[in-house]
Amino acid sequence: MNKYITVFKTGFKQEKDAIFDTLMRCIIFFVIMYVMIQLWSFIYGDSGTSQIINGYSLNSMIWYLLIGECIINSARTNKIVRGISNEIKTGGITYKLNKPYNYYLYTISDFMSKSAFLVLFTVPTTIIIGLVFVGVPDGFVWYTIFPCALAIIMSIVISWAMYGIVGLLAFWIQDATPLYWVVSKTVMLLGMFFPVDFFPTWLQPVIKYSPIYSLMSGPASLVAQFSWENFGRVIMAQSVWLVVILCLGLLVFKIGKRRVASNGG
Amino acid sequence: MVAKNLGLIFKYFNLNIRKAYQYKTSFFMSIIMMICNNAFFIIQWLIIFSVTDRIGNYGFEEVMLLWALSAGTYGVAHVFFEGAFNIGSLVYEGKLDVYLTQPKSVLINLICSESSISAIGDLLYTFIALAIAGAPWWWYLAIIPVSIVGGIIYVAVVTCFQTLSFYVKRGSSIADMINSAVTMFGNYPPIIFNSVVKVILFTIVPCGFMIFVPAENLFLGFNIWWILGMIGFAVITTILAFILFKRGLRKYNSGSLMGGRL
Repeated sequence: MNKYITVFKTGFKQEKDAIFDTLMRCIIFFVIMYVMIQLWSFIYGDSGTSQIINGYSLNSMIWYLLIGECIINSARTNKIVRGISNEIKTGGITYKLNKPYNYYLYTISDFMSKSAFLVLFTVPTTIIIGLVFVGVPDGFVWYTIFPCALAIIMSIVISWAMYGIVGLLAFWIQDATPLYWVVSKTVMLLGMFFPVDFFPTWLQPVIKYSPIYSLMSGPASLVAQFSWENFGRVIMAQSVWLVVILCLGLLVFKIGKRRVASNGG
Repeated sequence: MVAKNLGLIFKYFNLNIRKAYQYKTSFFMSIIMMICNNAFFIIQWLIIFSVTDRIGNYGFEEVMLLWALSAGTYGVAHVFFEGAFNIGSLVYEGKLDVYLTQPKSVLINLICSESSISAIGDLLYTFIALAIAGAPWWWYLAIIPVSIVGGIIYVAVVTCFQTLSFYVKRGSSIADMINSAVTMFGNYPPIIFNSVVKVILFTIVPCGFMIFVPAENLFLGFNIWWILGMIGFAVITTILAFILFKRGLRKYNSGSLMGGRL
């Protein structure tokens, strides 16, 4: 475990050099959220604050979107997929296979460090945008910050583990980027853009029992409409999915690495 | 001169496609996945229009028109001029030398040197979106020149911002930001934006001229002056891109890398 913590610390230090890119990412995050806020404010209309759509007020809808976007931005899942996929495609992975660590866990630790640095910027940006445009979440109490933060951190960790598997599929399909588009868009569509209650009733249980709930819908709805009951449900789902996805990732890596053929010296 | 440069653009396009086609599975998968990627947003809009009838004067069909225009301009820009989106990193890494020795325009050589294969999926999606919108036959024809002009505006503005890399270390990040903003704003009905944002959308983030002007003044209504304005904006931004690139090139420092192009 210590070696993965060391990988995390090293990656975090390296990331500090990319502060300009991080700030740019925060501006893009603001632009995206601005568009979404404008859209939903228009839909809710001028009397938005009192209107409720599928159980969500304008305030809770915006906080839901903000947290979803914050998770996506912080996790930078495209980087892990592209990183692993390129290493498999170019053969660069062979240099890491003989090292005294598991490549899958190493990559997750490395990218998590990059994510951790970004979180220091995206979380304040999220809070500022939320407070400026819609104020504190409905029914906000200060001590709910801790359970919400835990759920968000868990969702980012699950993101890395899950998208790490998508990257590892490059062992079979050469380039995992197109597959990433489909997976990430599914997560965005069923998790980030709308709360579970916006979907047809037959689809709602499917989403609730899928990893999408642990990744996106769960933590986002927790911030938008906090309740201890909801918190218990989200953390339970996240713990189960984290274990399942990590085991699956290790298995995929174990099978996939047999396909690596190294030539030369 | 224009004919020669057009010939060069198509020759590059031909070579880039043939190069990518060597990996057939990856080639077709990139295109199909991009179409699927865009198609996901149809569901997003279906859900939005299940909670509201219209957004201003925009219904589902009108939003699909915006998507068609957006995919068309994005497709033209990335299929024919993908190199424009990498100018900053090439300048930063001192890798422009190989383009400086070419007999034709350095900028044309540079921006046409790469093609995004997945963007072919965007070009195809243009017509799929029109079909979903239930478009009349002439929309299918009119969207071709409109996408070309829109694509030229897109590439010209991105090139202008990419030339910042000649002066500042991370100039390409600003261009990337503009690039993200274009794809973000262009797919939403313009009525949701206030007047300050609209000014930005008709200047530094040019989706006003690329998407909203043709949508509202050619397809959904007709105003010849706005159409001419779009063409004029394309000409001005293209000239500006050439001027800024030429000026920036004087500041370029070679990385003295040995390089070749196949």
